[in-house]
Amino acid sequence: MINHMGRLLFILLGLWVMGAWAVPPEKVLRLELSAAETGFDPVMTSDLNTASIEQQLFESLLTYDYLARPVKLIPRLAAAMPIVTDQGKIWVFTLKHGVYFAPDPIFKGQKREVTAQDVVYTLMRFMDPKNRSPYKFLVEGKIIGLDELGEAARRTGHFNYDASIPGLEVLDRYTLKIRLKTTDYNFAHAMAQPMYGIVAREAIEGYAGDTASHPVGSGPYHLTRWTRSSLMVLERNPNFRHEIWNFDPGNDPDSQNIAAQMRGKSIPQIDRIEVQVIEEAQSAWLSFGKGELDMIGLAGQFAPMALHGTHLKSSLADRGIRLDRISDPSIAYYFINQQDPVLGGMSKEKIALRRAIFMVQNDEEMIRVIHKGQAVRNAYPIPEGVAGADPNYRSLLDYNPREANRLLDRMGYAKGPDGYRRQPDGQPLAVRYTSSLSSQDRELDEMMKKALDRLAIRFESEKLKFPEILKAERQCRVQIRLSAWIADYPDGDNFMQLWYGPHTHENNGSCYQDPEWDRLYEKTLTMPASPQRDAIYHQLARLLELKGVTKVSTTHIRNVLTHPWVIGYKAHPILPSVWSLLDIDVSRAPRQ
Amino acid sequence: MPIERASPGLWTLAWRRLRRDRVGMTALLVVGCYLAVVMMALMGWIATDWTREVGVNYAPPVFWEQDQDETAQRSAVGHDTPDRPIALYGLQDPLAPVLAAIRAQYPQDRDLVEAPRRLSLPLGGDKWGHDVWIKVIKGSETSILVGLVSALLATLLGTLMGAVAGYFGHWVDDGFNWLYGVFTAIPYLLLVFAIAAVLQQKGVITLILILGLTGWTGVFRLVRAEYLKHKTREYVLAAGAMGASDARRMFIHILPNISHVILVQLSQNVVGFIKSEVILSFLGFGVPVDVVSWGSMLNEAQNELILGKWWQLAAAGLAMAILVTAFSMLTDALRDALDPKLKY
Repeated sequence: MINHMGRLLFILLGLWVMGAWAVPPEKVLRLELSAAETGFDPVMTSDLNTASIEQQLFESLLTYDYLARPVKLIPRLAAAMPIVTDQGKIWVFTLKHGVYFAPDPIFKGQKREVTAQDVVYTLMRFMDPKNRSPYKFLVEGKIIGLDELGEAARRTGHFNYDASIPGLEVLDRYTLKIRLKTTDYNFAHAMAQPMYGIVAREAIEGYAGDTASHPVGSGPYHLTRWTRSSLMVLERNPNFRHEIWNFDPGNDPDSQNIAAQMRGKSIPQIDRIEVQVIEEAQSAWLSFGKGELDMIGLAGQFAPMALHGTHLKSSLADRGIRLDRISDPSIAYYFINQQDPVLGGMSKEKIALRRAIFMVQNDEEMIRVIHKGQAVRNAYPIPEGVAGADPNYRSLLDYNPREANRLLDRMGYAKGPDGYRRQPDGQPLAVRYTSSLSSQDRELDEMMKKALDRLAIRFESEKLKFPEILKAERQCRVQIRLSAWIADYPDGDNFMQLWYGPHTHENNGSCYQDPEWDRLYEKTLTMPASPQRDAIYHQLARLLELKGVTKVSTTHIRNVLTHPWVIGYKAHPILPSVWSLLDIDVSRAPRQ
Repeated sequence: MPIERASPGLWTLAWRRLRRDRVGMTALLVVGCYLAVVMMALMGWIATDWTREVGVNYAPPVFWEQDQDETAQRSAVGHDTPDRPIALYGLQDPLAPVLAAIRAQYPQDRDLVEAPRRLSLPLGGDKWGHDVWIKVIKGSETSILVGLVSALLATLLGTLMGAVAGYFGHWVDDGFNWLYGVFTAIPYLLLVFAIAAVLQQKGVITLILILGLTGWTGVFRLVRAEYLKHKTREYVLAAGAMGASDARRMFIHILPNISHVILVQLSQNVVGFIKSEVILSFLGFGVPVDVVSWGSMLNEAQNELILGKWWQLAAAGLAMAILVTAFSMLTDALRDALDPKLKY
């Protein structure tokens, strides 16, 4: 009997040991980016693709609730929402304890905790002229003493990170008091941006000159492999704290379904995220079809393959593929460089030329032919879903090629013997349109060529990679471009700042510097979302049209397709990526 | 009395042999037709308005669907009408007087009447409603022109360098052989893509230069070998003895005797470069957006095919396949016809 018991115990022990050794299957999420990343130093980032990676690597003080609609701010690195006093001028943030940066050789094997001093350092970096941050507008002119530090650095060539300023006061290891010059209704949103992810000073100084290649943050993932413009591999950050998925789904049935599957799970569930840069939408579409990508943002040109109206085609739905469809809080807008020697300037002739160019852009055709119906006409700089939007706004620059031609005829842009228009002084006239190398951008080139043909203006094409386009924009070297902007936070200010004069060389790609416009815009900075502010926004929008600076064209509809083994996805209008909040059902994923 | 008849020359004999080759003559006819189309397109007699949008988006081929005209569409534009003016929010329009004058003179400008479009076209329409048949014709102008001119350039370069290397030999030959080695060490298409990517300047001239400057190696190798062989022949030595200069011996005496080799190589290059243009344009390195070529049509068609719109791919692919096949057959026939070992 004892012998039998011994055997049984031995077998049970063996089974227990085998069970303990059995490694659970690795959960891998495979994704694509439609344009190349620009490097992973948050202070230098401005594009959505890079921000989507940084959202996973770095943590800002605040973030957005995953399921709440309309969007709602919640703490991320902060232990709670900040205490705001003195009419919104004093903000006290308390950090969570026990938050550590991802392991990195720079820390020499020690675990490095995130402290209030790191937040101060991170905020200071935005005003360091060396960084030329495209997102410094979120703190510029706001924190007491910070602008002066930036100004001193411009004079001396050295930013004093050890300086103590009244606007950034460390109360203790985990508590920070921020003093603002005036009330800022968007400051909390600023602190939720992935670009404001907290960095460690020793990492930035240790990798000086190459910080974009060495992201060291406290996010749920860290970058373990990076092939530029090709592949990024993120792996679970072993130092990431214990955090539980717990979002309130409200009354939305889809959200309730997600909450039922995800609630109580620790964050993150996925072990590894592989992100490939696939510029050609066709390749992404085919990879998704074969199950090589777990989710894709559906490019408009493939909408007829996937969608029947606003619903997924049965051929895909039968495979368990899900569609998540939202109207992006985004705008696509044409802008013309106001400092360009041919198209820029405020003479009536130049204004007429720019307005004529805008008046031959056929937005309806673009929606129909290029976006295959996956965009809607929107003429106002602030899209729906963002405070300050006006869906009933009527544009001065609607498609009217006849009037555009008559305008140019009257302003002296006569046609030469070759049939093309010349400048009023007889010089040749050509318009250089900048776009990327993708096939969709080739279609946009064709659109612009057609548009300029309607005016008998010569078309020239400048093809650049996406990061180079951003660089050229900041150097005011782009002549005309169809650009896009998606809300960083749901307030109209995030869009209107795109034309603010001091943001030239940052986000003001049109390099528009107009004292009248800037004065009006500055008035809105201290105003809450209100009819009074909306009235000024309308003036600002109209000025952009009257002076031929920009033409807002469309708002994009986001269609995200996910395979059935991806659990918990819901498109978020603001968060650039939500990968750490998802899970993979390894039993359904065919290759895992 | 015996009648002395002039013996027929190389070219007369070659033409006689070619005329007896039915396949060769058919190929010549096909190539001739293509060249005639290219000439007419170049002269502006046909396919001048390939950018005109005559059909609806993706109009199917005529045998696919009954053809009919779509009703003209009228849409009101210019919302700023006297009865419904656009608010200026207290701002002044700097162009107000000019626009007021235009609107007073041309009130009908606010009604945009779109021209009626065909629901189907002979070979279908592309996404903008361009006629694919017209695009194929205009595309042939670009593709064949690029093929011909770059082949001429490559042949000229290869002939010149091969002649100099083969005739002078020694260190001159070594120098050219080194250059030849460098160019042939890199796979041809890879070299072409690399140069195209570096130049980043799209255009027909750029394409011709890229193909011409990289495609001379085959001609060089053959011409050099022929010059090595011919420079010691008696007729060349005799010319030298009579005081003919090196240049005269190279280009007046030797060149005509190896011209058949060059001609065959030229026609092979034309085929190769037409294909190269198509590949380059297909991959986005070729012609700019305002120029149509078979390659750019195939590039556009790659997305259309997934959507089930096959006609642009079929039309451009077929046009190219027929020409390339005919040109290859013609090259084969020419090689036979110009072979000096075949007397009749």
